[in-house]
Amino acid sequence: MKKRWIGYAVWLLLSACLYFFENNTGTRVILICSLLFPLIPYFRAAFFSDRKLAALRTGKFTRPVHSSRQKKRISDFHRLEGDEPGDLRLYQPGDPVRRIHWKLSAKKDELLIREPAPDQEIQEAEQDAAAESLPCKTSCRGPLLWGAVCVIVLCVLLFLLIPEAIWGAQALCNRIFAASEAANAYAYAYFPVPEGQSVTLALALIAAGVLALLSVMVLRRCRFIAFVLLTAITLFQVYFGLPLPGWIDILLYGALALWILPFPADRRAIPGFIGFVLLVALLVALFFPGVDPGTEAVSERVRDQLSRMAQQWSGTAQELPEGETETRHVHTQSLLPGLREGQTDREYRLVTVEEEQISIPRFINWVKTVLLFLLVAALVALPFTPFLLLNARRKKAEEARRAFASENVSEAVCAIFRQVILWLNETGHDAGNLLYRDWTEQLPCAMPPGYAVRFRACAEDFEEATYSAHDLPEEKRQRALDLLKETEKALYPAVDWKQRLRIRYWVCLCE
Amino acid sequence: MQAQLDQVVHEVEKVIVGKRSVIEKILMTLLAQGHVLLDDVPGVGKTTLAVALSRTVGMAFQRVQFTPDVLPSDLVGFTMYDRNSGDFVYRPGVLAGANLLLGDEINRATSKTQSALLEAMEERQITVDGKTYRLQNPFIVIATENSVGTTGTQFLPYAQLDRFLVRLSLGYPDYEAQMTILRDRQQGNPMEEVRRVMEKEELSVAQQETGMVTMKDTILDYITRLAMASREHVAVEVGISPRGALFLARMAKARAYLEGRDYVTGEDVQAVFVDVCAHRVLLRQNVQEAGVLQVLHELLKKVENPDRRHLFQGMKKV
Repeated sequence: MKKRWIGYAVWLLLSACLYFFENNTGTRVILICSLLFPLIPYFRAAFFSDRKLAALRTGKFTRPVHSSRQKKRISDFHRLEGDEPGDLRLYQPGDPVRRIHWKLSAKKDELLIREPAPDQEIQEAEQDAAAESLPCKTSCRGPLLWGAVCVIVLCVLLFLLIPEAIWGAQALCNRIFAASEAANAYAYAYFPVPEGQSVTLALALIAAGVLALLSVMVLRRCRFIAFVLLTAITLFQVYFGLPLPGWIDILLYGALALWILPFPADRRAIPGFIGFVLLVALLVALFFPGVDPGTEAVSERVRDQLSRMAQQWSGTAQELPEGETETRHVHTQSLLPGLREGQTDREYRLVTVEEEQISIPRFINWVKTVLLFLLVAALVALPFTPFLLLNARRKKAEEARRAFASENVSEAVCAIFRQVILWLNETGHDAGNLLYRDWTEQLPCAMPPGYAVRFRACAEDFEEATYSAHDLPEEKRQRALDLLKETEKALYPAVDWKQRLRIRYWVCLCE
Repeated sequence: MQAQLDQVVHEVEKVIVGKRSVIEKILMTLLAQGHVLLDDVPGVGKTTLAVALSRTVGMAFQRVQFTPDVLPSDLVGFTMYDRNSGDFVYRPGVLAGANLLLGDEINRATSKTQSALLEAMEERQITVDGKTYRLQNPFIVIATENSVGTTGTQFLPYAQLDRFLVRLSLGYPDYEAQMTILRDRQQGNPMEEVRRVMEKEELSVAQQETGMVTMKDTILDYITRLAMASREHVAVEVGISPRGALFLARMAKARAYLEGRDYVTGEDVQAVFVDVCAHRVLLRQNVQEAGVLQVLHELLKKVENPDRRHLFQGMKKV
């Protein structure tokens, strides 16, 4: 251990000497890297999985649970069991409905399930094991925080010492703005908006963003506070015209975004994400400085259009004469080709800032920024939402299925019967406040013959399972499973897609 | 045991044709150690039913025809001065030796006599001149009331009605049953054919076993909600009393036992609800048009049944 520190000191000395003798970017980078060296374990911690993180905390690095050989053995085992990867097997109640191979099922007149490849299952199991091996979440915060601090320090140093990074970031931002505006341009070209309706459009956009944010936030209530703060800050700045300095804004929004992000896992990914963006910025600065003139021309046109709309909207009614807009356009055109290949974005930014100051009232800029922010937030948030829902669904389905196979037959029968009732409920065959054994007359006539008898038998089993003190024999579980299978088979084709969705949703809800 | 109880019902059915459900309910009351109030017109077989029941179970049968001049001492007995021995001797009344007492037309007795009987029903003991005597075990009273010709009668007060476990009514037999009754009575008396299929000791065992039937909290919750709902119903002046709820639980247990189960389901409660509760509910004066039965059926429909409640616990309402 000590040797390592001595070696590190020597290395630091060498790099410092190098920096003093030859002061250029390369030596600066080397010096920064050497300074950051001792922090690297924490840095790594920010990107590592929970298991490794736990190992880091306890100081013990264990091997992963499944080495490749073990994996192979497990997959061999699966093969012996007859579960080829990608195999089909009979549907069992509780399987995710989306895995049903509908085409083949229709052919065979039996519900068939696409079996996922064993490797996938192993990975899932591994992840679960890793998640379970963590004793508590709070104890991981230390290294996480350190990781975040490291990244921030690194970023600041990067920006301070390498000017190219700043240019790169600016170029990247400009590109993102240009691209978004180009997208706007296409939208306006294909869906022309009547001038009076632009307010409605803007409101709709805001609503979309809010909805997207909400969809992420409803997953935990405390995030609502963050959202309210965010909205309050934005409104404050927009309506009272008191914009904060840019860097405070960035910090504020960043902190709130951190708060809003759903999982600790996602938070862990943030330093990585920032680092990635910075890397891209650096690459952009090094290899493609400047702005793509084609994109820029489109975005310029759109900016004109937007500013006109904004003026109408804000009611400032500073009707710019046509000619002035034209000249500004020309002015831009004449400037653009002047941007040399390899020229920094700084000059370009100065030009655009100047233009905006000429044409657009300041707070309109804010509105645009907020709109853009919301749009970006919506775009970022939307892909998360279905994933989260699906993941929850997977877990719930597994849980329900675990209950089906539970040691306690009574519990299993209850769980299975609940599923049957859910099906009936969701397909509109609810018989109301009748005892389940009396539902037989109300059952849909589309059911196979003898279904009512079997339903009644199962309802009696359910009563026994619920109200008696003794356990049930094993064959009653089988009987209930058969009934569930029969019910699903009979009812599923009869419902429309909305109800199918609701059924899936209910399957999630039921424990 | 269930087979024997079935046999009892079967035997009684030989003389009371087509009234299986009433017979079963009386048997349930017997198992639940309660008492029956039969509210009926004359001549539908109340006495026959009581006699047949006492025969099949091997119980001592006694009968009192209540009139205004029946005195409490006729029921509980009295002490009399014996001149030969020179001290007081207790002469037992009707209650002392009876397992099954048929009190005919209880509403014709004076309120003093009524209350003597009701006390014996509740306490299962009688006290005469400071000495307490235990009554026979099992002990069941089947009291009858005539709903016609009620002039000069004393109606049972509400508080005393509450002590009967169930209020039943035999009602007229339907066509088939009437034909069978007539046909059977042509040659001999079917009462002769009624066999004893059970001893009263066995009945005591059955009563104890009935007490041990499992009753989960879900069912108790259901009974409680039914009782509360009856008290809160707009048309109801006096709802189901706590004793009523207790009796309902006991009766539900007895039904479960008779069905051969060792656990009570929601169906048991629903099946006995009306019989147990109909005489405990008083309606408001101004809403007489809605009958008690209608109100009770409404309650059964409205109050969420335990099956459903258990299944959807923790879930949103549909």
